[in-house]
Amino acid sequence: MTEAATYAPIYPELVLAIGAMALLMFGAFTRETDDNAQLGGWLAIVILAVAAGMILAQPAETVTVFNGAFIVDPFGRFMKLLMLAGSAFAILMSHGYFKRHRALKFELPVLILLGTVGMSMMISAGDFIALYLGVELHSLVSYVLAAIRRDDVRASEAGLKYFVLGALSSGMLLYGASLIYGFTGTTSLAGIAAAIPPGGVPSLGIIIGLVFLLAGMAFKVAAVPFHMWSPDVYEGSPTPITAFFAAAGKVAAVALLTRVVIAGFPNAVAQWQQIIVFAAIGSMLLGAFAAIGQTNLKRLMAYSSIGHVGFMLVGLAAANADGVAGILIYMAIYLAMTLGVFAVILAMRREEGMVEDIYELAGLAQTDLKMAAVLGVLLFSLAGVPPLAGFFAKWYVLAPAVKAGLGWLAIIGVLASVVSAFYYLRIIKIMFFDDPKPAFEKSDAALVFVMGASVIFTLVFVIWPGPSILDAANAAAVTLKF
Amino acid sequence: METGIWEIGIGHYLTVAACLLTLGMFGIFLNRKNVIIILMSVELMLLAVNINLVAFAHFSGDLVGQVFALFILTVAAAETAIGLAIIVVYYRNRGSIAVEDINMMKG
Amino acid sequence: MALTAVFFYLFATLAVASAAMVIVAKNPVHAVLFLILVFFNAAGLFVLLNAEFLAMLLVIVYVGAVAVLFLFVVMMLDVDFAELRAGFIKNAPIGVIVGGVVLAELIALFVARGAGPVTTAVKGSPVPSGVSNTEALGLIIYTKYVFFFQAAGLILLVAMIGAIVLTLQHRKAVRRQSIPVQVARTPANAMAVVKVAPGETGMPAEPKGQG
Repeated sequence: MTEAATYAPIYPELVLAIGAMALLMFGAFTRETDDNAQLGGWLAIVILAVAAGMILAQPAETVTVFNGAFIVDPFGRFMKLLMLAGSAFAILMSHGYFKRHRALKFELPVLILLGTVGMSMMISAGDFIALYLGVELHSLVSYVLAAIRRDDVRASEAGLKYFVLGALSSGMLLYGASLIYGFTGTTSLAGIAAAIPPGGVPSLGIIIGLVFLLAGMAFKVAAVPFHMWSPDVYEGSPTPITAFFAAAGKVAAVALLTRVVIAGFPNAVAQWQQIIVFAAIGSMLLGAFAAIGQTNLKRLMAYSSIGHVGFMLVGLAAANADGVAGILIYMAIYLAMTLGVFAVILAMRREEGMVEDIYELAGLAQTDLKMAAVLGVLLFSLAGVPPLAGFFAKWYVLAPAVKAGLGWLAIIGVLASVVSAFYYLRIIKIMFFDDPKPAFEKSDAALVFVMGASVIFTLVFVIWPGPSILDAANAAAVTLKF
Repeated sequence: METGIWEIGIGHYLTVAACLLTLGMFGIFLNRKNVIIILMSVELMLLAVNINLVAFAHFSGDLVGQVFALFILTVAAAETAIGLAIIVVYYRNRGSIAVEDINMMKG
Repeated sequence: MALTAVFFYLFATLAVASAAMVIVAKNPVHAVLFLILVFFNAAGLFVLLNAEFLAMLLVIVYVGAVAVLFLFVVMMLDVDFAELRAGFIKNAPIGVIVGGVVLAELIALFVARGAGPVTTAVKGSPVPSGVSNTEALGLIIYTKYVFFFQAAGLILLVAMIGAIVLTLQHRKAVRRQSIPVQVARTPANAMAVVKVAPGETGMPAEPKGQG
């Protein structure tokens, strides 16, 4: 094997990083026009597609490079494909929005590409240093993106809040990592797993480190009790950027959390399971109850995503391959639904500007039946109504939890999902039965495409993509060590 | 190892780091309005982590901790630059850097 | 040994005391100066731990760059800092409770040594003998840890792009000096000889060239 071939597993990330730098040069040496900025966006989508193709072509085996710091396995490849899709759709949806707000910048796709490299590092992280650098690369990009409409008060406020709380969470994550390094003598996940003897109780230093580490990662996935940044950041950030946080960012953070606890602490399940169960219950209940009073759709989606993360944590709490497969399936379905809802939010535009309040949707069925139908299907799916995709998402995380003896946790999950159905159905009622408000302006082709793709995925999930995604997820889940 | 006050062991360094970490967290709670002091508090927390890492590395004869600390220093500098840039943008919009002024969105 | 201990206590006490001053100082400029003092003392601790390179880095990067950046921002923004301290006392009790609990737990953990042994069995990169600290680090960060090195480079690139994209303003109204335009001026394109007929003003219709 030649020297270059040893690094084959990291080629997709190299393509992303070099592509980002090439795009940066393109932006710097061409005229600053809207057309050039949009062309940059399309080129970024092409780069993401190339990277996705390379990941698809990678062999289905576990390979590590850089002394185990970068792990490429089917679990990581599954999550990376979802994450790349999230980034590409965010760029696709951003064009119209930023053009209308006169804020098209060529730096936007460059930053998203660099953030994607960071998320790839998070998903593949096999070492605390790689984990931290990936998290920070993604976080720094996110802080900037949140505030990228720099003349907008709410956006800069969102950026500031995200930054302060994100920096605090990084500090906690690092303190945990430093304690675990100290008491196990290594920063690699495999080394840590080997340092904790099976069946024994890990030393107190490791447990305290684990608590700090989980607290830091709970911030990144926005799980209770470290969720408070997400409603403000989701509401204040430009909507396509919010879609980027809710889709791609969520995939990477959940993948990171899953890999760290499963691959790094297989012999400390009893310790981390308690924390994950607590976070899962809190997130599901908060996602259900706190969203009831919200009238801003982006804020509502923030609470909704906190609830969905709670469900994914139920799958993680099961601590077996079925639970992890459930997380993978949940993530795929959640990604499709979320992108669809954000496409609808981006299409809520009147002559005077964007609207985000749920009462602006009043009577949408009479002014734009197609859009009302799309949002209706997506909301039913988010609520978990069979036979839509959202139902299967919940099924595949709750069933392993029941099998793992966490039946009561599954019951709380079902109850939370019933409560959350209330606010999803309220929006449907507003759309179909209230007096109509003025019609929205015609939506961009890109948004129509995303809405269509998302709703078709949700509707036909049972028949076509479902079974193959299920197989892929099951095959991917067992590659994390158990 | 743990003999007397004049024998400096790893516990001593960890205690200093714990003090700095706590002061950092305390500073964030205490100065909830002043973002610049919050940023400095975050720097204190990261310094605590670095002291931990370097102490662990020294007492176990390993260099990984120092490498980790080196990268934390690099990233912390980048993070500060971004943070101060966001503060400047926020100040241009609001004419203030008070965090609790944030009432555009209900928290 | 005793000398090391004396220096440890000196650096440790000063670091913690200055850190306390950072968060309670009334004047943010004083807070930045105390932050510099914390970093100097931490650098001292690093020297005691045989991490000379990191100690120098702390002084150069933090004191030289980061702290100065803080000072720039503090002085650039015309902020009423007295107003910002309004919530100080109100927040103090909860801060004391949270901080006190965390600190008590951690110190109990480290001092009582119930935390478990510091493992020395596994070593990622053992300290090589016979080379200086800087050389030892240099031997591994460009080889074994080149991945992290490159990733850190990307992070710095993001910081650069981010800071520029957020704060750079192109002022249209400001007329800047353009050296190439000035240098490229020749008598041929800078002067025009106008034949003035008697009785006319002789002003050209539009002034040519600029700068």
